[in-house]
This record gives sequence, structure tokens and C-alpha cells, in this order.
Amino acid sequence: MPILEVKNLSVVQNRRPVLEEISFSTEKGEILAVIGPNGAGKTTLFRAILGAQKFRGEIIKAKGTRIGYVPQKLDLERDLPVTVREFLTLRPHEGEDKNHSPERVLQMVGLQEILLKRKIGELSSGELQRIMVAWSVIGHPDLLLFDEPTASIDIAGQGTVYDLLHRLQDEQGLAVILISHDLSVVYKYADKVLCINRSQVCFGHPSEALSPDELGKLYGGGKKFYHHIHDTHENN
Amino acid sequence: MKTTDFLYTLLAGSAIAAAGGMIGSFALLRRMALVGDALSHIALPGIALGLIFHFNPFLGAFLFLALGTLIIWTVEHKTKLPVDTLVGVVFTLALAVGALLSTEEEILEALFGDITSITGLDMLVAVLISFIIVFLLLFYYKKFSLTLISPDLSLSVGYKPHMLELLFLTIFALGVAAGIKFTGVLLIGSIVIIPAATARNIAPSMRSYIWLSAFFGVLGAVVGIFAAKIYGLAPGPVFVIIAGIFFFASVFLRKS
Repeated sequence: MPILEVKNLSVVQNRRPVLEEISFSTEKGEILAVIGPNGAGKTTLFRAILGAQKFRGEIIKAKGTRIGYVPQKLDLERDLPVTVREFLTLRPHEGEDKNHSPERVLQMVGLQEILLKRKIGELSSGELQRIMVAWSVIGHPDLLLFDEPTASIDIAGQGTVYDLLHRLQDEQGLAVILISHDLSVVYKYADKVLCINRSQVCFGHPSEALSPDELGKLYGGGKKFYHHIHDTHENN
Repeated sequence: MKTTDFLYTLLAGSAIAAAGGMIGSFALLRRMALVGDALSHIALPGIALGLIFHFNPFLGAFLFLALGTLIIWTVEHKTKLPVDTLVGVVFTLALAVGALLSTEEEILEALFGDITSITGLDMLVAVLISFIIVFLLLFYYKKFSLTLISPDLSLSVGYKPHMLELLFLTIFALGVAAGIKFTGVLLIGSIVIIPAATARNIAPSMRSYIWLSAFFGVLGAVVGIFAAKIYGLAPGPVFVIIAGIFFFASVFLRKS
């Protein structure tokens, strides 16, 4: 049974369609990448899954599904008096969980323990994004929603985050839905890919779903674009 | 002023200031400072109705505040209008209605408060309400903090941010209604904003921030009420001035 099934999802904002007739599903232990140009409705799709956005259609989550969410950015005031440790303990989880203590999750995303005493508003955007990734895995979620989780993270950090994703998916059978602009990441890590540009352009295994035609439809780049992707793919 | 009256003033003032400071620490997590200040003015017609029809003005104030916050909360979620626009409209409407309903003398007391005229029962009610506010804020500490920092994250862990916002606004309304006797409608915002803003300048963590907000509230109230007694002044405005001095002192301690 899929952990998440979306059927004919449509969203209208200010009387304009933002998403039209999106349908896909994802299983346990699967990484699904969502790609599409800016303004394609990717973040809106996440907000609909979270329940923060009104929609038509169906979003069916398996019973008891816990979600870990990493937003694209968190708009924090610099002097927000909340330490990293406090922020990490704001996520509810059952009982004492040594595997997901603030120290442990920080280690998982490759950050030093000393950061626990810092205020979250003072972190660099890359540090904050890694903290958000750490935050999302506390309490054993079944489904992770990552909105460009590595947009502000340096190259070494990006590797850590994607390796972590891969490990979590392997060890705990998590389902991960990942918005990414980096097609090499999609080819390397994703089991399935969903391309949207307001309406659904493709859905399936990356090597089958991402044909030159589909990519052309998605980004309007055509053949030239495809060659670039092809190279990236081979390099990996 | 009799010693018992002074004690009543001191107890009620400190309790309200502690609760107000704590409310403020949460309100300032989401730039709600001026919204909260304007919101408090909605109490005015309620106080006026209480005075005209001889029921407790606190009750009138709370009913109007609860109604006002409910209207603002509902319209905000239905229309996505910015909350400060809504508060601006509702609070000036309420002020206009309040001004029509009250006499000049009543308006002055409602605007600037007078805690020295409180009875033993008033004091007990103020302390009890403050206790309930502090209890609720500590009980929902994690839920409120997360919801005020990011409603989307709150939603993602299964909380109901809209309902938590309504609960927080109701607690806010309760605190404002309880504090109005002390500082009046015009200065009530100071009980909520100034101690929390002071604490924020020096607190190294959320925990210390919440407790320091309550502490600066109580300190301002105690010093203010004693100073007001010695110099024969109204305690409300003196509290605000003392709290303001603490704030400017804390600015210098702020780590940039």
C-alpha cells in the first residue's frame, strides 16, 4: 500500500490555477523527486500535502503517517531567543529517544555539538538548512518532504545530506519526496520522478520519464538542454 | 491609602505583570508587538458598557476583546488580509463606539487605569487569572513556540496552528482584560511588550527569555507601585516609565 497517494489534485489561488490534475503515489523506502521550473507549483504541492493549502482532489496518507518537513526557507528574526537545542526539542516525539537526541541528529547532518548553544537566528543559511534536516528526522517520521534541502548548503554538506537521505531510506524504509533543481541529484538518488509545470508533465522512473521531449515540455529548453543533462548523467 | 489596599495593589499588579510579561515573550516571537497593543483598545466599549449597566468592567472588556480577536482571526483566515490592517480597522471602530458610550471621566479611567481603587475580590480575580494564564502558556509552551516560529512546521508535526493561534489570542485577551484596571487601555500594551522586549535583549535562550520577561514585569510593577505610593502618583504610568528605563538599560547589554 502506498504511503502517500495523490489523485487529481488541483489548487486554485486568486482565481488562477496553480496546480491542475496532479496524480502520483509513493511507497515506503522510495525517493520521489519533484522537478519543474520556478513557479511550477512544487512548494504549493507540499503545502497541500501538509494540509496548509486548500485543494480539490484526493490526498490519501497511510494511517498514522508521521511527516518530517524541511521548508525551502525559514524566515527567522536574527535575535530570536531560541537555541538550536531548544529548537530541536520543539519537535514532539514519544518518550526518550537516544538515537534522536539533539547531539545525535546534529552528528547525522555533520554539524558540531557546539552549535547547540547558538541561537537559531544567528546561524548561516547553510547551517540552518542542515539543522532543519536534523529537525525533520527526529521522532521517526515515515514520510520526509524536502523542499530543496540543499539550496544553501556547500558541496561537502550537500553530500552529507543526500547520503543521510539515502541511509535513512535504506535503514528505516522512509519515503522521501524531494523538490530539486539539480537533475544530477534526481538521476543519482531518485527512484521516481514527478515533473510538473502547473499540470503534470511526467511521472515514473527517471531514465524513462525524463525523455528529451518531456524535458523540453517542462523547461522549454529542447534538445540543447537534453545534452547537458545527458552529460551530467554519464559523469555520475 | 490603607496598608491592605496597598498590598492588594502590589499583589494584583505583580501577578498581572508576570502574566503579561510571559504573554509578551510569546507575542514577540512573531512581531505581534503593535498588533497586541492596538488589539487591547478593543476593550474600551466593553468597559463603558460595564460602567453603564453596572456589571464588572473586566467582564465587559474580556467579552469585547474575545469577540474582537475572534473577528480578526476569522477574517484573517478567510481573506488572508494582513492582520495589522484588520486590527487597525477593528480597534478604531471599537474606540469610536467606546467614546460614544462613555462619559469623559470614565474614559480617563478606562484609558489610563487606576489600580489603587481595587477591592479584595478584584485582587483575587486578578491573581487567579494571572495564574491560569501562566499555567496555560507553560502547558502549551512547545506548541505555541513552534506555531509562532513557523505555522507550517507546526502543521507538519500534526499540530493545528489555526486553533493554537486562536487559543493564544484568547489568552492574550484574558491578560489584557485583567491588566486594564492597572494601566488602562492606552498603556496596557506596555505590560505585554516592554518586559518581553527587555528580556529579549539579554536572554541567551527561550527558557530564560520567558522567565526573564515575567521577572522584568514583576520588577517593574513592584518598583512602580512603591514609587507611585511614595510620590503620590498613579501606578500605571509609573510602571510604564520604570519598565521603559529597564528596556533602555538592556539595549546597552545587548550582544550585537
